[in-house]
Amino acid sequence: MSGFVAVLRKDLRLEVRSGESTIALVALSLLILVVLVFALDPVGGVRGAGIAAGALWVAMIFAGVIGSTRALHAERDNGCIRALILSPLDRGALYVAKLTAAFIFMAIAETAAVVLMVLFFNLDFDARLLRLAPVIALGALGFSALSTLLAAIAGRIRAGDLLLPLLAVPMFVPALIAGVKASGAALTGAPFGAIAQWLKILVAFDVIFLAAGYLLFEHVVGED
Amino acid sequence: MNKSLNLALGALTGGLMVVAIYMVFEYVPTEADQGIVQRIFYFHVPCAWVAFAAFGLVAICGIFYLWLESPIWDDLGYAAAESGMVFCTLVLVTGSIWAKPIWGTWWTWDSRLTTTLILWLLYGGYLLLRAMADDTPQVARFAAVVGIVAVADVPVVVVSVRLWRTIHPAVLVTREGGHGLEDPRMVATLLVALAAFTALFVWLLILRFATLRMRTRIAKLAGELNLAHAAAGDL
Repeated sequence: MSGFVAVLRKDLRLEVRSGESTIALVALSLLILVVLVFALDPVGGVRGAGIAAGALWVAMIFAGVIGSTRALHAERDNGCIRALILSPLDRGALYVAKLTAAFIFMAIAETAAVVLMVLFFNLDFDARLLRLAPVIALGALGFSALSTLLAAIAGRIRAGDLLLPLLAVPMFVPALIAGVKASGAALTGAPFGAIAQWLKILVAFDVIFLAAGYLLFEHVVGED
Repeated sequence: MNKSLNLALGALTGGLMVVAIYMVFEYVPTEADQGIVQRIFYFHVPCAWVAFAAFGLVAICGIFYLWLESPIWDDLGYAAAESGMVFCTLVLVTGSIWAKPIWGTWWTWDSRLTTTLILWLLYGGYLLLRAMADDTPQVARFAAVVGIVAVADVPVVVVSVRLWRTIHPAVLVTREGGHGLEDPRMVATLLVALAAFTALFVWLLILRFATLRMRTRIAKLAGELNLAHAAAGDL
């Protein structure tokens, strides 16, 4: 437990002092939303909860991929990852610490992205956004679980930056489908029952990838 | 690999394939609603079965590799992924050829099509990892992990995509519990085609596996040779 706290505190302190990951994630989410506003203009413009939900998840996936590539460089540049591997820390605890840090950065970026989405897509700041919270939290958790495991692989091969999205995006598809549907339903004010089945898929996705990451992480960071 | 085994498998595959092609084009009756196009079904379904079996084998090899750490499992997993990718591509291609006259479009975002495409992308990523990380010593472990995670992902993909949408005909298991092949000759043709494609897969898998085993051995010998040279240089 103390190892988990130490690694998490290190990542958070690094972030508070440099702000690199969060600023990069928020800036990218902003850019992706702006690009989508221009891209979707010919097909009737950017009104409607459905399009807003889709745009939010596009921003989430691409900002998430680039954010985890960033985190990977930070670990690799000064040989930090080697020091972490050499430490007597349990591999599972290391995985959970890295994933918690990734989740916190993503959650901050997603909060910013939701505010931007409301502004850009002419929605309202109301109670419907609260229903969006569990959907986005589950999505960000699943993506962090997946990308933390895959980034550990990508960080150790030459063209890893390129490989990370090629592996992460197809694997994230079920969460993406469920997330977009649930977000759209939440934003149009649909009853909870309409969201529940999609939330179940998100929970299943998170459980599978958390378990797989926890069990397989030691094989990925092992030395030989 | 054993030469006589290779010949036997090749002869078995060739023979079965000839019989399967005869049955598909001459023996089996034409389906009443869809006409001649439906005959592609006898190649489409076996390809799908082989692709799914191959991807399952990739995960099993991954588990055995992480457990036993023997490069044999790594080579077998690699061979299975490559062969599976060939058949998965064939499933998408034959499906498209069938869909154009029947559904009026090459591609539609139906649940089974989407699931197959996601599978194709997942194992495309797996093979890219193997190609890109060729010079990384831990590539076998990375591939094992990705192979296992990909298969763990498949059930969620299937459920989510099915909830998303479906229009694909359920031929083999219909909602009423029976199957959609009325004529016994259709069942016989499908079974022979399944056997032919399974034999083809096993043959390709073993050939590829033998090549990869040889590659591993050469890499090991080259490493030993380098060590010997280095030792001689030091003296």
